[in-house]
Amino acid sequence: MEKEIRLQKIGRRKSLRQRAKESKKWQKITTVVYPLIFGAVLVGLWQGQILHRWFHTDTFTLPLLNKIGEIMRDNMDKILENTGATVSVAVIGLVIGSLLGYLVAVLAALFPKIGMGGPAVLGAFASVPVVAIAPVLNNWTKDLSDEASIRSMISKIIVVTLICAADMGLNAYRGLTEIKPFSEDLMAIYAAPKRTTLWKLRLPNSLPYVFTALKVSVPASIMTAIVSEYFAEYITGVGRQIRENIVLAQYATAWAYIATACLIGIAAYVILMAFQSILLRRYS
Amino acid sequence: MSKEREIEIITRNLGVTFKDDQDKDVVALTNVNLEICKGEFIALLGPSGCGKTTLLRCMADLQKPTEGDVHIQGMTPKEVRLQQKFGFVFQQPVLFDWRTVKKNIELPMEIMGRSKGERSDRADEMLEMVGLKEFANHYPKQLSGGMQQRANIARAFGLDPDILFMDEPFSALDEFTKEKLHEDLLRIWRATNKTILFVTHNIQEGVFLSDRICVLSPHPGRLSAIVDIDIERPRSLEVKDSVHFTELVAKVRNSFEGGSIA
Repeated sequence: MEKEIRLQKIGRRKSLRQRAKESKKWQKITTVVYPLIFGAVLVGLWQGQILHRWFHTDTFTLPLLNKIGEIMRDNMDKILENTGATVSVAVIGLVIGSLLGYLVAVLAALFPKIGMGGPAVLGAFASVPVVAIAPVLNNWTKDLSDEASIRSMISKIIVVTLICAADMGLNAYRGLTEIKPFSEDLMAIYAAPKRTTLWKLRLPNSLPYVFTALKVSVPASIMTAIVSEYFAEYITGVGRQIRENIVLAQYATAWAYIATACLIGIAAYVILMAFQSILLRRYS
Repeated sequence: MSKEREIEIITRNLGVTFKDDQDKDVVALTNVNLEICKGEFIALLGPSGCGKTTLLRCMADLQKPTEGDVHIQGMTPKEVRLQQKFGFVFQQPVLFDWRTVKKNIELPMEIMGRSKGERSDRADEMLEMVGLKEFANHYPKQLSGGMQQRANIARAFGLDPDILFMDEPFSALDEFTKEKLHEDLLRIWRATNKTILFVTHNIQEGVFLSDRICVLSPHPGRLSAIVDIDIERPRSLEVKDSVHFTELVAKVRNSFEGGSIA
């Protein structure tokens, strides 16, 4: 009898392991299904005005989804114009900041004696809140151009640049220096010059870390662009439109821009993941 | 090994002392005098802490000795290293994840600036030699540990180095793979006639592979004996069953000083 029980237990344990293996398929399904269910439930609660009851609000401050959709459709040209402004701030800042951060990381990795301070400075920038530097930079850039649109752009881009540079610099430095044991000895045995070691070992080694940085800094660049638009002088940009419309109590329009901001964020992330799956395929 | 041969590597009073955390001197290696002939297969054998890897790294110019000196082909190790005459097989297969097996083997040739066609031909040749031809376009992570170490050896031989350093290259492998690679290594060595310095802590491995075993003892690390291994070549695995092999193993074991090996 006892023997039988033990056999059953062993049988059970085996099937558990098998189940973990088989569940891979289910894991894939649930990662798609859960967000869909969540979305459907949210839409239901929203359209059925149940959310409104829970939060003690009305369809004026929290307009129904079809109304938001209508406004988005009717104001497509204006929304696209504002999206263009926000996206260009985010992209320009992201590119300049990431390159700058990477450059600082390379210098720190190549010349640790004098370069190590670089990532430390970037780390300091990383801890500065956007809401704190955005207004300050807006003031600093006041004399840069006679055009309000241009000086406003520059100030926003600088904020995004700082945030992205910090993120890229810290991650890239790890990627350039955290190298498999003996790799550097291997390059030394073949008398590889420093730039060859950089080019053939350090740079390729840092690629996964670059994506780690981008997974944070791509959404952060959009968020930063939107937040710094709040403080900007010039009133173009998705973030600024959210603020303006709330101030004017045009909540439906404000929500249309909030939805736009969400779509920009999701689109950027999807593009990034597509790049990652192509470029990092050989690393995994 | 009685016939007259050209001496390739000489160490004179070689020693390495480093400072520990409390700034005290620790002698890793002291007073090593060694002469190694061209084309010889030398095993550096000893328990951990005897400085065998340190000795190897000094000869390969990966580490500077604090006393004495090394001469290789009448030059300093650094000069020889800069002429790219060394090959080194590390304890772990140091393959770059982002390169295919073939591209990994081509790496040293890329550093030397060989042409694309030459690199590719030579890499194919090396892959054939170590039996990885079908895996040329695989990435390192798709290979087993033994296959990775084979790719590692192929890379070291690819440049046709004069001297090959091997630092416990097979210690992480299972017995079956190890024996297979021992035979492969001897076959490749016979075909290419390199000077090989092979670090190991396994007596049987040292006896099976080498012409001479340099026995190192710890605390402080020093050369305590050199044992000639006069087993005829080519050697096959059956050699390990012979009485002579067992005697040589015993002889090596008894030559450790300080009774650190039971």
